[in-house]
Amino acid sequence: MDKGRIFAYLITIIACTLYLLPLYTMVNVSLKSPEDLIWGPVAPARRLYFNSYLQAWEKISEPFFNSIKMTVPATLISTFLGSISGLGFYRAKFKYKDLLLFLIVLGFYVPPQAVLIPLVKFLADIGLYSTIAGLVLTHVAYGMPITTLLFKNYYESIPKEILDSAEVDGASLTTLYRSILLPLSLPGFAVVSIFQFTNIWNEFLFALVLGRGRASQLVTVAIANLKGTTLAAWNVQMAGAVIGAIPVAIFYIFATKLVIKGLMAGAIKG
Amino acid sequence: MARYGNLQIFLFILPATVLVGIFVYAFSAWNVSISLTDWRGLVTSIRFVGLENYLKLINDPIAQKALINTFLLAVTFIPLTMLIGLITAILLCLELKGTSIFRTIFLLPLSFSFVISATMWTWMFSPEQGTINSLLRLLHLDFLCQPWITSTEQSLWCILLVYIWQFSGYVTIIYYSGIRSIPQEHIEAAEIDGASRFNIYRHIIVPQLKGETIGVLTILLFYALRVFDLVYLLTGGGPALSSEVLATYMYRMTFNQNLFAYGASIGTVIFIIALAIMIPFLLLSRRR
Repeated sequence: MDKGRIFAYLITIIACTLYLLPLYTMVNVSLKSPEDLIWGPVAPARRLYFNSYLQAWEKISEPFFNSIKMTVPATLISTFLGSISGLGFYRAKFKYKDLLLFLIVLGFYVPPQAVLIPLVKFLADIGLYSTIAGLVLTHVAYGMPITTLLFKNYYESIPKEILDSAEVDGASLTTLYRSILLPLSLPGFAVVSIFQFTNIWNEFLFALVLGRGRASQLVTVAIANLKGTTLAAWNVQMAGAVIGAIPVAIFYIFATKLVIKGLMAGAIKG
Repeated sequence: MARYGNLQIFLFILPATVLVGIFVYAFSAWNVSISLTDWRGLVTSIRFVGLENYLKLINDPIAQKALINTFLLAVTFIPLTMLIGLITAILLCLELKGTSIFRTIFLLPLSFSFVISATMWTWMFSPEQGTINSLLRLLHLDFLCQPWITSTEQSLWCILLVYIWQFSGYVTIIYYSGIRSIPQEHIEAAEIDGASRFNIYRHIIVPQLKGETIGVLTILLFYALRVFDLVYLLTGGGPALSSEVLATYMYRMTFNQNLFAYGASIGTVIFIIALAIMIPFLLLSRRR
C-alpha cells in the first residue's frame, strides 16, 4: 500500500469518527445509570443500563404512536396523489401545463413561515387544529410539489413506446395508470414513500405549531420537550432521542439504496 | 389516438393543483393581507394599517440582526457543505475497503430529525460536561475548550457546524455518484499523460459535475431558506439574540408574543426572499 492510500484511510477514519461522535454521545449517555452520568459523556457506560429507555418510553410512547398514526396515512395519501398528478402532468398537452407545473414545484421552496399563520387559522376554522387529521392534511398538501415532480420524472424514465402503444389501443388514463404504470412503478412508489415517510416523521415546525395537546403531540415535539428541561435526566433524554431516531434510521441502514435514490431524485431540478 | 381528452388530464392534476393553490399560494396571499392589519392575539377588533408593520420591521434592530444572521448562515452553510461533501465523495471514490460502511456513516446524520441532532449536539457543546470539551481536557488541550453555544460570539457558528454535519452526507452521495458516472477513459488518459491526482480532480472530474452541483445547490438552498429548527432547538436564537434568524423571530413574535400581524409581515419577507432567489435559480438551472 502506498503512502497516499494510507493517508486516505487515515483521513476517512478520522472523518467517520467525527461524524459518529454525536451518535456515540447519544447512545453512550442513554445507556448510563444516573451514578455513571457524572463520569461524563465520553467515558463508556460502566454497565449497560436500560432503565432510562423504560422511563423515556413511558414519556414518549403516546406521541410515538401519534406519529405513526399521522405519518403512515400522510405518506400513503401524498404518494398516491403524487402518482396520479405526476401522470397528469406527464401526459398533459394543454398550453399552460409547464407554467402550472412550475408553480406547483415552486411551492416546494416556499418556506413554511410564509403560510404558518393562515394555516393555523384555517385549520382552526375547519375544526382540525391540533388533530392528527389536520397534520395529515397539512403534510399531504405541502408534500404535493415534490411527490408530483418525483413521479413525473419517474414516468419519464419508463420507455415511451409502452404508453404510446396503449394509447393507440384507446386506453383511458385510468387504465393506463392501473394496468401499465402501477405495476411498472413499484420501485418508484417505494422510493417516494420512503422519502415522504422520513421527511414527515422527522418534521418539526408543523408538529410544534399544529400538534398541541395530548391527542396530537408528535414524537419530535415530545423529545424536544424532554430536552433541556429538568423533567428528565440526561440519560432519559438521550434514550428518548434514540427511540425517536429508530424508525428512520432503519430505512437508512437497511434500505440504503432506496433512500439514496429518493435523495438523488429530490435533488434533481424541476 | 388516446381516448382520454383534457378532462381526464384535468381530473388527474386537480388534487395537486387545488392543494398547492390553497395551501401555498392562497395562504401566502392571506398572510400578506394579515400583515397589513394590526391583528394581535385575542383582540377582537382588527384594523387595516397599511404598511405600518413593514415600516416597523425595517427599523427593528432585532429583525436586522435576524436578517444578517440568516444571510451569514446561508452564505457559509452552502459553500462549506459543498466543499466537505465533495472531499468526502472523493474519499469514497478511492474505493478503500469498507467504502459502503463509510458511505452509510456519512449519510447517517441526514436520517436524524433536527430534534435528535439538537439533543445530541446540546451534549456535544455543553461547556461543563460536553463531549467536545471533555475530549479536549482528556487530550490535555484544555486551552482549546470553548463556551460554544453559550457564547454570543460562537452560538451562530455552532449551529452552522451542526447544519454542515447534518447535510454534507447529502452532497457526498450526489457527488459520489456523479464522479463514478464519469467515463473511466477520461481519467486514464490523463493518468497516462502524467497528471497528478489533484490535477485530475481539478481539471477533469470537478468540471464535469455541473449537473450535480446544480442539484446540490437546489437542495442546500431549500434548507438554507428555511433555517429554523436547529436554531430554535439549540439556542432558541440566544444567548442575547446572538443567533436569532428571521424564522425564529417570526415564530417568537407570532406564537410567544401573539403579534400575529407583525409575525405575518416577517413571514412575507421570508416569502419574498425565498422566491427572489428560487425563481431565477430554477429558471436558469432548467435552461441547461
